[in-house]
Amino acid sequence: MDKLKFIAKRLLLAVITMFLISFVVFFVIQLPPGDFVDTLVTNMIAEGEKVSQAEIAALRELYGVDRPFLEQYFDWLGGILTGDWGTSFNFNENVLSIILEYLGPTMMLSIVTLIVQYVVSIPIGIYAAKHQYSVGDYALTLVGFIGMAIPHFLFAILLMYISYQLTGTAVMGLFPEGGIVDFASFLDFLKRLIIPIIVIGLGGTCSSIRSTRALMLDEQTRPYVLCTRAKGVKESTLTWKYELRAILNPTVSGLGGIIAGIFNGSTITAIVLLLPTLGPILLQALKTQDVYLSGGILLISATLVVIGTLISDLLLAVLDPRIQYIEETK
Amino acid sequence: MKQSADPKAKASASSLTEKEERAAEKQRRKEEKARIKQEKYYTASQWQLMGRKLVKHKLAMGSAVLLIILYLFAAFANFIAPQGLEDYSSSASNMPPTPLHFVHEGEFIGPFIYRFEVERDEMRNKIFVEDTSTPYRLQFFVHGTSYKLFGLFETDLHLYGVDNSQLPPGQEPLQYMPFGADQLGRDLFSRILIGSQVSLTVPLLGTIISFVLALVIGGISGYYGGWIDTVIQRIVEVLSSFPTLPLWMALSAAIPAGIPVVQVYIWITLIMSLMGWTGLARTVRSRFLSLKKEDYVMAARLSGVSDMKIVAKHLVPGFMSYLIVNLTLGIPNMILGETSMSFLGLGMRAPATSWGVLLQECQNVSNIANCPWKLIPLVFVAVSILAFNFLGDGLRDAADPYK
Amino acid sequence: MEGKNQNVLSVEDLSIRIKLDEGTLTPVRGVSFQIRQGETMGLVGESGCGKSLTSKAILGINTPNCKTTGKILFTEDGKTQDLLKLKFGGAEIRKIRGKDISMIFQEPMTSFSPLFTVGSQIAESVRIHTGKKKKEAREIVVETMKKVGISNPEKRFDQYPHEFSGGMLQRALIAMALVCSPRLLIADEPTTALDVTIQAQILELMNQLKKDYGMSILYITHDLGTVAQMCDNVAVMYLGQIVEYADVHEIFKNPQHPYTRGLMGSVHRIGGGKERLFSIEGTVPVAMNLPDRCGFYDRCTSREEGACGGSCPGMREVSPGHWVACWRACGAEKEEGGHE
Repeated sequence: MDKLKFIAKRLLLAVITMFLISFVVFFVIQLPPGDFVDTLVTNMIAEGEKVSQAEIAALRELYGVDRPFLEQYFDWLGGILTGDWGTSFNFNENVLSIILEYLGPTMMLSIVTLIVQYVVSIPIGIYAAKHQYSVGDYALTLVGFIGMAIPHFLFAILLMYISYQLTGTAVMGLFPEGGIVDFASFLDFLKRLIIPIIVIGLGGTCSSIRSTRALMLDEQTRPYVLCTRAKGVKESTLTWKYELRAILNPTVSGLGGIIAGIFNGSTITAIVLLLPTLGPILLQALKTQDVYLSGGILLISATLVVIGTLISDLLLAVLDPRIQYIEETK
Repeated sequence: MKQSADPKAKASASSLTEKEERAAEKQRRKEEKARIKQEKYYTASQWQLMGRKLVKHKLAMGSAVLLIILYLFAAFANFIAPQGLEDYSSSASNMPPTPLHFVHEGEFIGPFIYRFEVERDEMRNKIFVEDTSTPYRLQFFVHGTSYKLFGLFETDLHLYGVDNSQLPPGQEPLQYMPFGADQLGRDLFSRILIGSQVSLTVPLLGTIISFVLALVIGGISGYYGGWIDTVIQRIVEVLSSFPTLPLWMALSAAIPAGIPVVQVYIWITLIMSLMGWTGLARTVRSRFLSLKKEDYVMAARLSGVSDMKIVAKHLVPGFMSYLIVNLTLGIPNMILGETSMSFLGLGMRAPATSWGVLLQECQNVSNIANCPWKLIPLVFVAVSILAFNFLGDGLRDAADPYK
Repeated sequence: MEGKNQNVLSVEDLSIRIKLDEGTLTPVRGVSFQIRQGETMGLVGESGCGKSLTSKAILGINTPNCKTTGKILFTEDGKTQDLLKLKFGGAEIRKIRGKDISMIFQEPMTSFSPLFTVGSQIAESVRIHTGKKKKEAREIVVETMKKVGISNPEKRFDQYPHEFSGGMLQRALIAMALVCSPRLLIADEPTTALDVTIQAQILELMNQLKKDYGMSILYITHDLGTVAQMCDNVAVMYLGQIVEYADVHEIFKNPQHPYTRGLMGSVHRIGGGKERLFSIEGTVPVAMNLPDRCGFYDRCTSREEGACGGSCPGMREVSPGHWVACWRACGAEKEEGGHE
């Protein structure tokens, strides 16, 4: 019962957060000087058309950009909720359908990176903690620091350069030409995945290793470890059953942040590696003031982070027997 | 006491006791020293302990020294850099790093360079060949492009360079370029130094602003609680739900085109700090919440100390060291942020430069393959981020001095 | 000594060193004591005197940076082995931990992992040491839980630590220690974290169980009040050394070491009349760079420059079974001219 209450509370909070996020998004996309009609008119003039003041005014009314801010916001929000996310100026297409088209590869890349990140970082972090101050620990710490210090986009360029030197071709994009049709093209696709995943995941993996190590070191000093050891439990059982289980909760609760981190990385990496994800589309939309498209992408990426946080909360509710207890003591 | 009838034995005994006494005295002094050391350890203030522990942390100290050097270079960038922001030379376009020579025709004449002649190979690609007929000596304190040091003193003195005023008329001036040149033939080293004025100060200022924001907002949230706390927590949650980079991009895109460089700089700093404060504010809040329950805070309140005074005298010092550690570890993120923004063309704009702007030329592979020296700014980005990380790590260890 | 009164545990010249940046700590310096079968021995001292480290050293569960020397001889079925020689985390020492020697810790709330049920954590001990299946282990645990006074053990088995009260959790901790019927139980301040009424119940319970199981207890505490209730013999520890050892009546009636006397003086007695409680001046020094003299020298009220300032006093038997490490106590005994 308590768990249901906890879940309901979290869901409600997520909805409120989403509402506030939509407001911030709309505010941000309205920030640049000038509006959509200005851009439109500039383009029309550039294309050699003549536009009169009256026409501009008519356009403003048509697109509804002369109305008060809040009215425009609720109009936009209503559209979002009913599936009308506005029209992209660049693509001349509904924003939602563009986003959906690029969302698939974006999600696929993010989820694979997320899994790789956890699978790689947790065992390494535990190893480093169990061998604190050993050569391996120092080496991992150094590698971790360097991994966190290299900006994504430069790492992408470096890897691209190295693969170019090794193979003679720069692997760009995600899907092989002609799509995934047989086993060979699937292998090609997997090969193309490697660089993006390494690039996007490196920073997150390194910080994940460091936090796993810190959590593990912290866990080792807890009294229950001593008590369990005094029971005659094997060291390996202590590590993999008790301590791993204990660090799982903070690891899971960091899921939202990790998803945000992956989004950060994938946005800029995709721009450098020309991946068919939302990142390059966002940059283009921002540079050309394609406000509904950039707003839609901002909204969807924040939504995914909120969903990630929600999932981690729900997982915690399942994983941690103390959840309502923690809530109470908060 | 040893007693002996034999005077000889007595003498030897007394010399023995003297020796013993001296040894004992030495021992006592040693003990006393150890005790004083120990006493100092237990009576030292937290900051003293932190400082002492930090000094022992070699990596952190090395990083601190390196950062000081980097910031000094940034402060004196215009003096150290032989070229100004607007200097270029079309003939030096994409020129590789200039080799430094010491021996000309078998004779040691100090550091000098040769002029590069541009030739074309059979594929019509540009190649640079050294013309070894005339050496051009490098000199200290040469006159070059004029600039204002710290924006105050007008001067044209540069730390080093080739004295181009002595060249015969009609000859193009030449430059020692240790890191090569970019597309427009500009000295990369000069541009890295001048760029560091942006790349190293935006994160620092941004962090300070977000630090103040976090302290004030988090403090209010944690100290007063209630509905203020709820509202602030919502705002923090909303802001931290955005992946920072897309939001940074959107905000940077909103910077009006054609505004002066200084304004762009201020905008970028503000955008960086706007996103940086949320995590820290959460930390401040939770620290306030836990410290509020401490007995000494209750004691102060019972004896009628004002709220402001409690906060300033009792709460803030309680987690200051912790905040400073967090602050230091937050700077690398801002360096990354500024560099990424500029790299994407959403940050600093020409004529200003930053490390990210310099790296724009690395956006395509063939450019790097032909001119790998253009990756050198990356080394500066990585090194400064690493240095802040190491310093922050050392501070974190030091902040817990009894551990 | 009679065959029945065999030593279960014999600690000989146990020292622990910990290397720190600031120097080497020696929190335990040459501790020796014996525990006979069925005996409860009290190890008494202030916080930081090394009593907890000593007890953890017996089980070999101190962190690896504690360099331990000396001998810890444990006798079982006529076989004696030195526990210190066993590898940290190795199979031999693990067979002893929790089965032959088990331990009750001072903080019941943090001694269980919060993420597993209390019952499963107790059952784990049974399953490790007896190889019994889940179901059988559960029965044994429920039985033990009932014995230590946990009501409704079937339901309690599946509850998590945060659903227990402090006193109940301490009972569960005792159940965990007893579930494999150990020869020696180490109780490290088992009641400090509890209310006074619960304290009495727990001590009563331990005394009862000691009779039922026929085990020995090493009772570690800073609370002299409970010592009288629990122990047969008492060792007083100060600054990593045992300074006085005697049976419980002797130590209360005739404390010889100034430190022991100080401890006695600082205990409040019901019906003892209106007096100021005595307190020992100063604090325990840190066990680093200690000079070679009596550890209590700086705080002692009856020290004599000449006699006490020299080397460290060893343990001397001042009357049969009463050992003291004090230069002065020895002399005083001579003046009084021995009871024997």
